Amino acid sequence: MANPLTLYVPIKQDAISQAGAQLAYETFVKSVKTGLDASGIVHYARLALIPNASGQGTYAILLITAFDGPMNPYLSFFWTNPNTQKAFAGIAQVALNPPVPPVTDLTGFENFINENNLSQPADLYQAYPQTVKEIEAAFPHKTVLPKHK
Amino acid sequence: MSTINDVTVPDKSNIQGMILRGFTHPYSCHMVFKFKDQPGAKSFIKAIFPYVQSAESWGDEKPDLMLNIGLTCSGIAMVSNLNATDMKYFPWTFQKGPASGGSQQSLNDCGPSDPSKWAFGNTTQQVDCVVHTYAMSPQMLKQLVSIVSNAATAGGLTEYLPLDEGTKRLEEYALIPRNSIHFGYLDGIDQPKLGWTNPMDPSDLRNFLIGYPPSAFSPGPTLGDAGTFAKDGCYNAFRILLQDVELFDNFLSTNAENIAKTIGQTPKYAKEWLAAKLNGRWINGSPLELSPDEPDPKTSHSTKFGYAGDTSGMKCPFAAHSRVANPRDEKLSEQGPVPRLIRRGMAYGAPPLINSYKGERGLIGLFLCGSLPTQFELLYSWINTTNFSAVFPSQNGQDALIANRSMETADTSFTIPTDKGPVVIKDMPQFVVTRGTAYCLLPSLSTLKSLAE
Repeated sequence: MANPLTLYVPIKQDAISQAGAQLAYETFVKSVKTGLDASGIVHYARLALIPNASGQGTYAILLITAFDGPMNPYLSFFWTNPNTQKAFAGIAQVALNPPVPPVTDLTGFENFINENNLSQPADLYQAYPQTVKEIEAAFPHKTVLPKHK
Repeated sequence: MSTINDVTVPDKSNIQGMILRGFTHPYSCHMVFKFKDQPGAKSFIKAIFPYVQSAESWGDEKPDLMLNIGLTCSGIAMVSNLNATDMKYFPWTFQKGPASGGSQQSLNDCGPSDPSKWAFGNTTQQVDCVVHTYAMSPQMLKQLVSIVSNAATAGGLTEYLPLDEGTKRLEEYALIPRNSIHFGYLDGIDQPKLGWTNPMDPSDLRNFLIGYPPSAFSPGPTLGDAGTFAKDGCYNAFRILLQDVELFDNFLSTNAENIAKTIGQTPKYAKEWLAAKLNGRWINGSPLELSPDEPDPKTSHSTKFGYAGDTSGMKCPFAAHSRVANPRDEKLSEQGPVPRLIRRGMAYGAPPLINSYKGERGLIGLFLCGSLPTQFELLYSWINTTNFSAVFPSQNGQDALIANRSMETADTSFTIPTDKGPVVIKDMPQFVVTRGTAYCLLPSLSTLKSLAE
């Protein structure tokens, strides 16, 4: 059974933070793919930018994922992976309210994620009960070789 | 302070004793409290502080009576001078406690183990402090419990009496042999070899003591006043597990009849064999990996073995309790090092042989770690998860002994591979029920002393 994380972080309005959020959005999949692949527990993850009411600039970063098993025991895997650590630490850096404690170690990371998580397990609809590992085992990647006539 | 392997290590006199050593006092009582106010809490700590045993060697003068103290997050908030911002530096899991939604994703205490049914540690029965008392004789224990109880009364504390409908304290029943549990198994054989050799080794003390980063499991907090408060402390997941011995024994006897026919052995052998397959060790402690066919006194305390060569579970089933809780060298689909816990538990309630005893019996679990989520809760999630590490195709079922069968997604079957074909038990009963849990910090002696001032 999967669990949800909906990380909602209002961000600062200065130009550097706004540009940082835009960069995080544009590079999100590329920057976290290796770490999330290696975890073997994340079904989907996406990052969205919530616009200001004026339509100009970004009000908040929204990260939405669904993953297998409990969240907190597995946060260390994302913190020890340099790419996912960089992505999350980057979000913390532009947060409107600086995280307490700062996101400089695993405790700070655990607290930041939980403090800004809007979802509970009961909030998630799931169409299937299989885990990522079970799905990957059922549909193994087939190596594609060059074709010869 | 001194140095080991070029690491500056703390004085043992500043660390609570149970962290570094298992106490061998035959009598113990574990007292659970809620504070009333800060003056009362401080006077309580001050009154019992002289009895706190550190990790320093006692040489030839073994104390007749002694104690260790654990404080929950709410207890620290009440008794210390840390403010609300300081408290935010403690790990989320410790702040919210074991009954919280986050922790319950791993502990899965549903059905009969639901936190609403706990004797302590849920929202209506908040725990602030747990005092672990130890003594060399029943009289000494009575004396020490009386000292703690009187100090609690004077400080206005509320004491929870967790056993037998709120009438009895959690008192150890010294089973014979020592270190056995009510299901009959020898317990506590394999503990992490605590040292200062490599912080990435799960047994290294930097993964248990707070304040020595970096390490594999990053105990915290390490920053702010909370970091100072917690330094040289260690977390204790204090968990009371009722063991249904009658159900367990009936399960073994009932299934032994059929299994005996399948494996071509007597029902008596099949009963012992099934008990060994559930646990991964025979009743006497012999690991199945070293003694697959029968218990052997020579291997009863063995810790030097692995599972890497048993990829079919033919010797030890994948879901056997000790294989799930300590997978050793087994190839896992999980990332990262396999966590270890320091276990300082003991049995409560009289053994089944004493027919006149009508109370409940179980395990007083003291699971010590530096990080509650990445050590204690990760292992517990493996225990409850069906096929937690999906490397091998025949790796079915939850932990065979202590998993919660009431979980919605649980596969309650248990598969025992044999050369005559698999033995499959379809509906595993619930042998163990959670009766209460508290996440405590075992603070350093200097921190405890500061609270008493």
